[in-house]
Amino acid sequence: MYSFRGILRGAAFCAALVWLGGMPHEAYAQKNSPDIPVVSNVVAIENARIVQGPARVLQSGTVVFRDGVITAVGRRVDVPYDAHVIDGDSLTVYAGFIDALSHTGIPEPRNQGQPESVPDRSNPPFDRAGITPEASARTALDPDHGDLEKLRNVGFTTIMVAPRGRMLPGQATMALSAGTNSSEMILQGMQPMFFQFTGAQGVYPGTPMAIMSKFRQLYREADRRMRLEAMYAEDPSGLARPPYDAVHEAFFPVVAGDRHVLVWTDEVLEIHRAMTLQEELGFSMILTGLEGGIDTVDKVAGSGLPVALTLDLPDQPRFAAKLKADSLQHILDSYDDETRTATFRDVEAEKENLEARQLWSRSRYVGMAALYENAGIPFAFTTMGVSAGDVHGNLREMIEAGLSREAALAALTVNAAALFGASDRMGSIDTGKMANLIVTDGDVFDEDTSIKMVFVAGQMHEPSNTSLGNRSRDRAEASTSNQ
Amino acid sequence: MNNTIRLFLIALLTVGFLTSDAHAQDVLVRNATVLTVTNGTLQNTDILIRDGIIAQIGSGLRAPRGAEDVDATGKFVMPGIIDAHAHIALSSVNEGTSPVTAEVSMEDVTNPYSLGIYRASAGGVTVSHIMHGSANVIGGQNETIKHRWGATDPDDIRFDGAPRTIKFALGENPTRVHGRRASGGSGAIVPATRMGVEQVLRSAFENGKRYMEAWDAYNAEASTNPRAVPPVWNERLEVMADILRGEILIHCHSYRADEIVMLTRVLGDYGVDRITFQHANEAFKVAPELAEFGAHASVFSDWWSYKFEVYYSTSYNAAILMRNGVVTSINSDSAELNRHLYHEAAKSQRYGGLTDDEALSMITINPAIQLGIQDRVGSIEIGKDGDIAIFEGHPLSIYTIPVLTYVDGVKVFDRENDADDMRVDVDPSAEVGQYEGQVTGRDHMHSHEEVADLMSFFQSVADVDLPHAHTVND
Repeated sequence: MYSFRGILRGAAFCAALVWLGGMPHEAYAQKNSPDIPVVSNVVAIENARIVQGPARVLQSGTVVFRDGVITAVGRRVDVPYDAHVIDGDSLTVYAGFIDALSHTGIPEPRNQGQPESVPDRSNPPFDRAGITPEASARTALDPDHGDLEKLRNVGFTTIMVAPRGRMLPGQATMALSAGTNSSEMILQGMQPMFFQFTGAQGVYPGTPMAIMSKFRQLYREADRRMRLEAMYAEDPSGLARPPYDAVHEAFFPVVAGDRHVLVWTDEVLEIHRAMTLQEELGFSMILTGLEGGIDTVDKVAGSGLPVALTLDLPDQPRFAAKLKADSLQHILDSYDDETRTATFRDVEAEKENLEARQLWSRSRYVGMAALYENAGIPFAFTTMGVSAGDVHGNLREMIEAGLSREAALAALTVNAAALFGASDRMGSIDTGKMANLIVTDGDVFDEDTSIKMVFVAGQMHEPSNTSLGNRSRDRAEASTSNQ
Repeated sequence: MNNTIRLFLIALLTVGFLTSDAHAQDVLVRNATVLTVTNGTLQNTDILIRDGIIAQIGSGLRAPRGAEDVDATGKFVMPGIIDAHAHIALSSVNEGTSPVTAEVSMEDVTNPYSLGIYRASAGGVTVSHIMHGSANVIGGQNETIKHRWGATDPDDIRFDGAPRTIKFALGENPTRVHGRRASGGSGAIVPATRMGVEQVLRSAFENGKRYMEAWDAYNAEASTNPRAVPPVWNERLEVMADILRGEILIHCHSYRADEIVMLTRVLGDYGVDRITFQHANEAFKVAPELAEFGAHASVFSDWWSYKFEVYYSTSYNAAILMRNGVVTSINSDSAELNRHLYHEAAKSQRYGGLTDDEALSMITINPAIQLGIQDRVGSIEIGKDGDIAIFEGHPLSIYTIPVLTYVDGVKVFDRENDADDMRVDVDPSAEVGQYEGQVTGRDHMHSHEEVADLMSFFQSVADVDLPHAHTVND
């Protein structure tokens, strides 16, 4: 479906657009009406720079899509008579970004207060323990959630959405970043079981060590029950009815190898924990987050596990927030790992060196994605815990630290599609794939580039604030000036 | 399924071996006073460590090409110190939600980035037994680590081949945490008293025994009946069964003589005999009983009166136990005290009139015996691991200074090269001076901190009044 609303906002705000057929201006006042008929569901973007995929660039070409599916792309393409044509001169078209994991579109639980008490905290009900693997993001998705638009505006058209919660909140789903209702957004395909090292509040399992044990317990008991069920299904005679509960049943496809575990790790020890469980139990795992996973590059590369790295970067330490890049570099360069102050009177010198070390440490985090690229790990990116406004600034920092633009683009598109077995539908601009596209006025990783349009399954959306400039830096400067 | 776990453990150990080989180095320590602990004191003696193993002890030894050469003239060399009770290098300590959590393991929360490892090695400590806290009657399984500072993979600091151990706890900690929540109101569960602690132990062992029997019965039936139904899988009881099988050594937090004897009786009833009583401040009162049972003790030199149940003790505790034939060690339970365990041993020597070798054995071979690693570490003997600590001045002297520490022949501490910042990992965002709270560098500092840990844990729980006992540890 192609909406009038999008067309008209495009005409109003984007001088580069020339609509064949013209639009009656009076319709503008009715842009919120759902009853306005669709003019056409075919779009052609002509004479644009088309980045079909990483290192696959058409300097000038045309892409045509109908009913949300790309029907043609190339240097010389016949534009259908009924197409809305967008003059792509000076514009660049990319495949829509894929967020490999976030809670975008899942409402925060309303009651964030104190958890209810239970008679025996050593043995709480599953839901109180944060163990609801039978739940699904599909039933929790809110199409009107404000974060969807924010993420869409910075280029994301598809999201692996995971439910919110604690240890095992439920199954994630692939979803489009736009739709009038959740059914329109939900995509067929992989629904991995989301798992994180977040303990229950005041009840078992509270710590990472108990989460490890609980996962083993659930997995191994599910394994037993699955065998029992098979035996019972074959011939129930003489057998007690196998025990049933939704939690263990949700583990069956994981044990059988039919469902991935999508695990979120936000510090290096969690990476080791996740890999320990995977190695021990043998399930299919997608490893995500990996913040601080600088020392785990070789181990992850050796494991061959599919990986999605966080787009988050650590905050600058407070002393550094006010400093300009060249003074930061100067401090960083002054770091001396052999500094040995003689007395307490030198504490200032020691402090300065420690601060320099801190900047050095942060630079390692910024350079982490480049390390994973150099190790040949085809990673995707996740926006979990990152505000949409920080995504492009962080990407630019990573690129400055050595991540290639091709690898960054691959992480946001083809690699993420491959991670979820969706390469046949998304991740690049090719005939037959979904029309998930970003239209920019320059290289998407340049600071002065703006995203002009985002097409989600062929539907146009226009970011209201299109600049990809570093918003967090703006914010930091604003907060500094307020002090 | 048990086999799967065992195979997994074996795989883990194999990986660990390969890793330790990769770290191993050759070192020749020349002309030292060598405190072997098991074979007396050797003057003007050289020690050659090859591939991380003590290869030769003698005089006029020649260094192989490329070996590190250490002139130890006038210095003392002793076996790397072993701390049988530590909470360093852990990212969490207590799973305080249940009186029995045998299934959890410090193996899963081992933190190689912990600065506590380096600080301990600066006190000559090369091996730590990092333990679950004392919130639960049966806490988690512990982990024995080597202080391979600089390693970043938790698997790389494990003591390959060390036996499994588990933490038990008697007395006030578990009764406070579980039995006295909300002043006995909602949420209070057994144990609230020492009677309850015994009952929790007996129930856990009984359940473990039944579980083991149920699996034995199933395995017997499954050989003839393909439709045999396996028992419900239970990670917790798997571990209880392994304790009953004698595969896991018990290390029990304890203070009072009555509760110490109680546990030996419970263990006797279930045929378990491998136990070390930790803290055990009143163990001297029942030293003959402990010796008869074959129990070991790991104690403080002169620290007590920090709460009611440990009101009564003596600085002669260690010596009395030792003289009664109880394998006794001095431990730290602290990321500060572990840096001067040699001094703690000296204090026990001073009070109890122990010989040098007896005093040193309490921080070397005896804790090694208690951890089941005495064939590998704990003394300077050919064939043992190249874990040594070099001191200026006799280590039992108040004036001694640790100067060099080696683990598997790798230098992990050198007083001459001890920069201000020896961290492996640095939090990029925290304020300088506030590193203790960072996730990867977090240490469990002290039993005070252990209590603080629990306090913050309970503060996060809605329906619970704070236990009041935290003041007794301050």
